[in-house]
Amino acid sequence: MSQRNGGRVFGMALLTAQDNPPLAAKPRGLRPVNFALTLPALLLLVVFFILPVLSLLLRSVLEPAPGLGNYAALLGSTTYLKIFLNTFVVSALVTAVTLAIGFPVAWALAIMPSRLSSIVFAILLLSMWTNLLTRTYAWMVLLQRTGVINKALMGMGLISEPLPLVNNLTGVTIGMTYIMLPFIILPLYGVIRKIDPAILQAAALCGATRWQALTRVLIPLATPGMVSGALMVFVMSLGYFVTPSLLGGTANMMLAELIAQFVQSLVNWGMGGAAALVLLVVTLTLYAIQLKLFGTARMEGR
Amino acid sequence: MKNRLIIAAIAATLSVSTQVRAEDMVFTSWGGTTQDVQKAAWADKFTETSGVTVLQDGPTDYGKIKAMVEAAGVTWDVVDVEGDYAVQAGEAGLLEKLDFAIIDKSKLDPRFVTDYSVGSFYYSFVIGCNKDAVSACPKSWADVFDTAKFPGKRAFYKWSAPGVVEAALLADGVAPDKLYPLDLDRAFRKLDTIKADIIWWTGGAQSQQLLASAEAPFGSFWNGRLTALAATGVTVETSWDQNITAADALVVPKGAKNKDAAMKFIALATSAQAQADMAKGTGYAPVNLDSPKLMDPEVAKTLPDQQTAGQVNADMNYWAENRDAIGERWYAWQAK
Amino acid sequence: MLLNFDRLGGWKWVLLGITAMTSAFLILPIFFIAALSFGSSQWLIFPPPGWTLKWYAMFFADPRWLEAAGTSFYIAAIVTVLSVLIGLVTSFGLVRGRFIGKEGLRALFLTPMILPVVVLAVALYAFFLRVGLNGTVTGFVIAHLVVALPFSILSITNALEGFDKSIEDAAVLCGASPLEAKIRVTLPSISHGLFSAAVFSFLTSWDEVVLAIFMASPTLQTLPVKIWATLRQDLTPVIAAASTLLIVVTIALMLLVALLRKGLKS
Repeated sequence: MSQRNGGRVFGMALLTAQDNPPLAAKPRGLRPVNFALTLPALLLLVVFFILPVLSLLLRSVLEPAPGLGNYAALLGSTTYLKIFLNTFVVSALVTAVTLAIGFPVAWALAIMPSRLSSIVFAILLLSMWTNLLTRTYAWMVLLQRTGVINKALMGMGLISEPLPLVNNLTGVTIGMTYIMLPFIILPLYGVIRKIDPAILQAAALCGATRWQALTRVLIPLATPGMVSGALMVFVMSLGYFVTPSLLGGTANMMLAELIAQFVQSLVNWGMGGAAALVLLVVTLTLYAIQLKLFGTARMEGR
Repeated sequence: MKNRLIIAAIAATLSVSTQVRAEDMVFTSWGGTTQDVQKAAWADKFTETSGVTVLQDGPTDYGKIKAMVEAAGVTWDVVDVEGDYAVQAGEAGLLEKLDFAIIDKSKLDPRFVTDYSVGSFYYSFVIGCNKDAVSACPKSWADVFDTAKFPGKRAFYKWSAPGVVEAALLADGVAPDKLYPLDLDRAFRKLDTIKADIIWWTGGAQSQQLLASAEAPFGSFWNGRLTALAATGVTVETSWDQNITAADALVVPKGAKNKDAAMKFIALATSAQAQADMAKGTGYAPVNLDSPKLMDPEVAKTLPDQQTAGQVNADMNYWAENRDAIGERWYAWQAK
Repeated sequence: MLLNFDRLGGWKWVLLGITAMTSAFLILPIFFIAALSFGSSQWLIFPPPGWTLKWYAMFFADPRWLEAAGTSFYIAAIVTVLSVLIGLVTSFGLVRGRFIGKEGLRALFLTPMILPVVVLAVALYAFFLRVGLNGTVTGFVIAHLVVALPFSILSITNALEGFDKSIEDAAVLCGASPLEAKIRVTLPSISHGLFSAAVFSFLTSWDEVVLAIFMASPTLQTLPVKIWATLRQDLTPVIAAASTLLIVVTIALMLLVALLRKGLKS
């Protein structure tokens, strides 16, 4: 078939496909195949994740004595509840900050001339490439009262006393944002790249101001990418422990550090399992709620 | 054909398990230069005399010990652990009873000997101070808790372990022989007075970094760390007043595969010369009472066992029994 | 108009400004680490009192560093390939499939990301002890795969959902087999999702420390475990030297790839 003919046939096929609902093009018998596609991952998870972890979590109701004693201790103690709350608050904060910074950067990356965007990409990937512990330690030293940032600010005369930038919520937020930014930028970049510029041109032609085009067209179109990235960052932050333990203060202890204490230092697997299970249940509940609210938007991708 | 070769190669690589041979034994410690010295002073000497290869593993992890003992798949033969954990783990049935027919305990510091463990080395929490960063250095725990006379940040060990609670009680005026049972309420009240000025360190290296950079120009430190710090050129002033001792211990997990070799290893590690070598390399104190005689007097002077005036011994048994209870209150207080 | 760089007007500078500041933010610690790796003080004090190459010498003198780095890289590479492949297949199932419990399955695939790794580490360690997988590359790969897969699935499903399926169907109508249509039409279109999946999977394995502590044995150690133990015990700029070396090697590779691409284009 010559190129031109093939093009015309493809175009007609495209029109046909778009007019007919996709299911009509697929014979009925193929539907179970899609479930089968998830089997390898499912098997891997069941054997190497669900079963082993379940037996550990079971200990939360069996150790030190059968019953819900661990859960009573956990949910009845203000300390633990405070740590739970703090974990979710910090994760939400980090997610919000990374989204706020990541969206403009992803947008810029999607439309910048490729020479500039290659450099920014290189920087992005390089920052991820350095070992996590090393990066966190670097921030610890940078943010100290006697660290470079405070010294520079004082040298420039902007402040007279060093700012407390580490061992508190500020330090944790800065450190975790640093680590999480690429996880928002990369997926968002992909989604924005795929948006047809013609849609925004049409919006402009219809008389939308740039601000309206942003809020009514671009952001809704990018929402699937934002939700996906935000979900990744939020969930990762919940289970994170290295960065918060080095950059945070004791008043903002996160759940993962507590669980590590239980499992590795106090060797109280009953409590450790209980805390982990509560975290799982709360997070999955939040996920289910999020699905109800944003689920349809994501499915259509429009 | 090429694809099949590649798949076969990958399968072969993946199935090669790097397992330990039966004649090797495994010594586990916390890593870093301390373990390097333990390797040189103990493991290498052991291999020389007995021919048994000693593999190094680490870092010590109590969760791992519990898991391997329960699964009866113990891969560690001798483990360096914290003193109070050794007591608790022994009572919980996680450790082998030590064979004192092989290990000579007559020369060992009795403070650190139990049925299941012997001391690995011991150290003291002392008051360290970066002389260049402050006008005056605190000399006693009461000084460290005095923010009026000694303003600024001070460093303390973050984890629930013997040391900080005792320091707070001593600073509040409790006599050393009346420390136990620990009055936690009183200790936390005292700590509350300086809580905003405390910077917590989680590891030895971090404590040295804090002092060197003057982020926390003074505080409570492990003595060995201060010695090492001074050696790198930082002007450190150490006060041994009311130093609080604590120790690491050597244990054998229950069901260890090379029990015999493990006992012999511990016998060597706690012998006078081996302890002296370890002390020289790390700045920590030997648990063998004959070791100081074998050491250079200049070096011996810097060790906790020579600083007994006013020395306070943390009660490992008390800590072992109340580890969980104290831990809970400690973390609750920190999270406030 | 918003997606046209030249027609953005004043907003262009706002976007560029934010990007520039973010880039500076991202690269600041890396410069700092590089600077410290040449400092003569053992402590992380800036500016350092003097300059030296001794940390690099120490790094090369100890074969365990390079060994650990090599092991990390090897494991991460295997994990990446497996993660992207399994993630791709699973994503097709999740996005295209219509079966009961689909959303539940999706949530299930997310759970390894939610659960603090230490719980999985202890559980898997105990399990592997019974089947003899501890201290083996296979054990490591499986453990890392479990935590890397959610990233892969999330990234690829995200990309697949944004893909207009009618194009793939059109290709089928044109005569391509369903598989061919997927490979030649869909895959290139979701390549950014595959790239993200690969990057995240690789980095998850490369940086992973808790599982590695449990899966390691005296003869098999990954780089993060070595750094973890070293950082807690002795702070030496050797770690800074190791990180800087890695960055330099990566930059060299990136430049090489860019040059090759230019060569191919012309």
